[in-house]
Amino acid sequence: MTGHWNDFKNADVLITCGSNNVENHPESARWVQAARDKGAISIVVDPRYTRTAAVADVYCPLRPGTDIAFWGGMINYIIQHDMWQKEYVITYTNATYLIDPAYEFNVETGMFTGWDEEHQKYVTTSWGYQTAETVAPNTGAGGAFAYALRPGTPAFTPPDKLVPKRDMTLQDPQCSFNVFKRHYERYDLETVCKVCGMDSQTLEQVYRLYGQSGARDKVGAILYALGQTQHHYGSQNTRIMTLVQLLLGNVGVPGGSVNALRGEPNVQGATDMAMLVYDFPGYLKWPTAASHATLREWLEHETYSDGYYTNKPKFFISALKEWYGEHATVENDYGYDWLPKIGSLDFTTMSTFEHMDSGLIKAYFLWGMNPANSTANTKFARQAMSKLEWLVVVDWVETESACFWKAPDLNPAEIQTEVYYLPAALIYEKMGSIVNSGRWLQWRYKAVEPADLAKPDYEICDLLWKEIVRLYSTEGGRCPEAILNVKWDYHRDGVIDPRCVAMALNGYKWDNAGSWETRELLSTFGDLGADGTTACATWIYSGFYANGSARFDPSQQKVGGRSLEDKTGLGLYPGWAYAWPLNRRILYNRASADAAGKPWNPERAVVEWTGSEWATNDVPDFAFQSRAADGTVSWIPPNDRAFMMTWEQNARFVCSTMKDMPLPEHYEPFESPADNLLNGRQNSPCIMFADHPSVKRSDPAEYPIAVTTYSVVEMWQTGAQTRGCPALVESRPEQFIEMSVELAEEKNISNGDTVRVWNNRGDVKLTAFVTRRIKPLKVNGELCHVVGMIHHWGWAGSFSTGDTVNDLAPNVGDPNSFIPEFKAFLVNVEKA
Amino acid sequence: MADYAIFFDSSKCTACKGCQVACKCWNQLPSPLGLNANKPTHSYQSPLDLNGDTRIIIHFEENDNDKLWGVNWSFGRRSCMHCYDPACASVCPSGALAVDGETGFVRVSESKCIGCKYCKSACPFDVPRYHGAQSKINKCTGCLDRIANGGPVSINGGTGQTQAQFSVPACVHSCPPGALKFGPRDEMLRLAHERVAYLKAHEIDPSPHASVYGEDQLNGTHVVMVLKYPVETYGLPANPQVNPLTGLLGLMKPLTGLAAAATVAGLGISFLTGLGYKRDKMHYDEKKHEQVDLDTGEVLWRSDAVPGPAGDEDGEKDARPAKKGGK
Repeated sequence: MTGHWNDFKNADVLITCGSNNVENHPESARWVQAARDKGAISIVVDPRYTRTAAVADVYCPLRPGTDIAFWGGMINYIIQHDMWQKEYVITYTNATYLIDPAYEFNVETGMFTGWDEEHQKYVTTSWGYQTAETVAPNTGAGGAFAYALRPGTPAFTPPDKLVPKRDMTLQDPQCSFNVFKRHYERYDLETVCKVCGMDSQTLEQVYRLYGQSGARDKVGAILYALGQTQHHYGSQNTRIMTLVQLLLGNVGVPGGSVNALRGEPNVQGATDMAMLVYDFPGYLKWPTAASHATLREWLEHETYSDGYYTNKPKFFISALKEWYGEHATVENDYGYDWLPKIGSLDFTTMSTFEHMDSGLIKAYFLWGMNPANSTANTKFARQAMSKLEWLVVVDWVETESACFWKAPDLNPAEIQTEVYYLPAALIYEKMGSIVNSGRWLQWRYKAVEPADLAKPDYEICDLLWKEIVRLYSTEGGRCPEAILNVKWDYHRDGVIDPRCVAMALNGYKWDNAGSWETRELLSTFGDLGADGTTACATWIYSGFYANGSARFDPSQQKVGGRSLEDKTGLGLYPGWAYAWPLNRRILYNRASADAAGKPWNPERAVVEWTGSEWATNDVPDFAFQSRAADGTVSWIPPNDRAFMMTWEQNARFVCSTMKDMPLPEHYEPFESPADNLLNGRQNSPCIMFADHPSVKRSDPAEYPIAVTTYSVVEMWQTGAQTRGCPALVESRPEQFIEMSVELAEEKNISNGDTVRVWNNRGDVKLTAFVTRRIKPLKVNGELCHVVGMIHHWGWAGSFSTGDTVNDLAPNVGDPNSFIPEFKAFLVNVEKA
Repeated sequence: MADYAIFFDSSKCTACKGCQVACKCWNQLPSPLGLNANKPTHSYQSPLDLNGDTRIIIHFEENDNDKLWGVNWSFGRRSCMHCYDPACASVCPSGALAVDGETGFVRVSESKCIGCKYCKSACPFDVPRYHGAQSKINKCTGCLDRIANGGPVSINGGTGQTQAQFSVPACVHSCPPGALKFGPRDEMLRLAHERVAYLKAHEIDPSPHASVYGEDQLNGTHVVMVLKYPVETYGLPANPQVNPLTGLLGLMKPLTGLAAAATVAGLGISFLTGLGYKRDKMHYDEKKHEQVDLDTGEVLWRSDAVPGPAGDEDGEKDARPAKKGGK
């Protein structure tokens, strides 16, 4: 999130789409309600009438997987009705930039320009800008790349800036805004209703109410979660919500934003820490063999020509310095060659099981993950796991993955996998920092000792690492220096200590003789260098643990802050926890004020240009001061550079950085009951893994019912933890499928009946809840039945067991995020 | 006497059941422990009714409305209403149920309960439940233990700052949307009326049936509710009445005195049985100090009885059928 949960209270209108926020993020209810108490309108768009819908003002249904059609229609409606925030759009976005004249979207074929048939991917140059001039990088004193010439900095050539052509009058048809506007002209009310299945009156009401946040002094918030992301075009779902928010001037403003609701599984921490194949900690790129064979290539490929990411080498070199310590020198490219490079094979989750199935992967570590019950097409995943030689599961409880051989469809006698179970300490049984959706880092203290032999994850990791190092040093191996040169000194009194890790994440001045008792901690990533003088494991966290005078007392660090002071009343709480980056509570906060620097709404003042200086209630997220060579600091008057993390420093309508589309376009789910009405192509050409034989596509003629899967408030994820809590099991004792009265009548099913739900991948039984909260939708004139299933059950656990619903979900996914399509596929249903 | 109330706003309740679970945790009330031991409810509501180990449940009810999409989904709060003139306390022969002077809530002194179940019969809201294994009545205590420790303070469950953790009932403390609050009753009533007026006049989604519940019913209760939809859709009686016979039993109490609780119980049972008032026919054997079900001969309670295994052993367990479609 660019703001925080409590920022919802500042909104004038909130729309939840692709989330059941009051159920699955109960604390969100507090802040949505706080907004409503002040008169805000809340809208829920969802295939079924959820508990969130029950406490909203307006509910609108839609067919699973048709979000881009819904949002595209909203964009069209807002532009047609002139509800967009013009000053914001023209000032802070690339609306005025001219797009390559070759750019085209062909409605007949459903393809954008640039398709490379041979490699089955887009070449995205035609999605880029027309260039007005080329500006060489400034390596002079005070220039953005002056640091590149400092001794110790690896040699690389900073990129030229290709300054785009602009038309500030928006007359040129190739203006990014005009391309954008034209793209969504097809998304009229009637067509959207035909695709999504709602009625046009309800749809127009939603568009009108939400569009009102385009007024200068109004703001709207979008709340979303996995309902948007778990599609083979999930990244585009999230992008189109950003486009709506930019159009209405709702990004960077308190009460606005595109709010990704993350939860207990800690997606925020996982992405910050790069628990994803293609990422390096702090949202940097993990090197690939193709683009980053050498450090120079990485630096030249990843460094931006302008904006804050001109500093990227400082973050990356400082991270390498933390990884390899004294072994990392400018002569050996700071150990870059020891980092493994990603090759041509994909090792994201869904591919992992293909590789297990083929025998390539023989051993598997599962750390706080339960794919035998949670991944898409779990039946295939389990069968693939049964080919493993060994498996290690680190978890709180015996998950389905920890006893995968006990799955009802597997025969233990035929499985030779050796399984090691390592009990992990609960969060209450160890100290350390957590990070939540609002990027707030908070220190948590140990409350009780771990039970029995359970250990904190970091301790398990430490024991494992020491043994690996011992084996490499005594027995050797391929490229042992990649292991033996790693700096692993996070111990105090011989015991691994998260406070040392916190100092490493925070960053410090490098000193070969330094120790955690003496290292000089840095208070900002602005002090990082690309010359080996600083070490920092995750640059975005800099400053969160910087008090060197009390370095082993987290309560004396910003991450330990518990101040309830909130001077603005906006819920910024600068002394409570630490919001990365730099304790900034609202990202892109320059956009909370107009071109002249006056807040759009004085009640939501975050930054303000007084005429001579910036008055700030939050840490500014833009270049607001400059420092001359003699050290004199001067104020930078208002300009249009509100988004400094892009090289344009403006937000993007048309963009060339996504793999699949320059503008989000509607395609149907991989398994859909309907044909694509908006263009001539059924699925995105960039869908991942659709050709894998394990996918076994379900034909709508055989499986006509659209299904979506979701969670309920009483349970988390696969239920491994929550099904272990008797009070929670009592509050939600059985797994269910929700269906309409109409479908139940058609299938002769009564409430409470056990029903069989199946498709080509799996077959499960669960209890029917027959309800009027789900209604059949009229899709292109035809009746379309929609059902919904929760997915918290499996065969493990002592209190409540049930079938694994994820057996049915297709293992196809998004080319940008590799997320599976859990939220829209096909099944059939009958009374069991 | 101080006068406090629990405020429940059904229009803000998200039915997360945090209150149900918080009640169980704070009051150490067990849940079934066997594999798949919970009876399926075929509903979002679970358990379906209060029981010997469950003092609060969220009631779910779906009703059609005249809108194209969605339903009127009522989230009700089923628990003790803490009446002004509690029928349960007035019939309680042992003094186990009594009005708390600090709050006006109906407190429960477990050690005094003799398991006679009069309160269960007397309650106009069908709230007290009999725990067979413990031979005790179980109902909401108002978490007076928490309140006594922190002192009753007003809480703004919505956007307010963290309050002293032990100053409000566990259910109130758990409520994310601020649908539950605790504070002086007149303040809670003011909030309730304000909210009802707001709901009725809402521009986009008006609630013509919105009402305040617990202000006038039975001369008032210490639970004050905002009901968005009609009263009946929340599992509550629209016009709760105290059985007039409870008054007769109340008259007996001063005659016998509370010290001889067992005797009183015996007399009371005969008295009520004779009037055909009790649903359960029971007899108290003064020699054996046993309470016996006259129909089955089962010993329901013995003065030296060791509590049996945990569980809800109410005689009327599962009296209500599983929910039918759409509930």
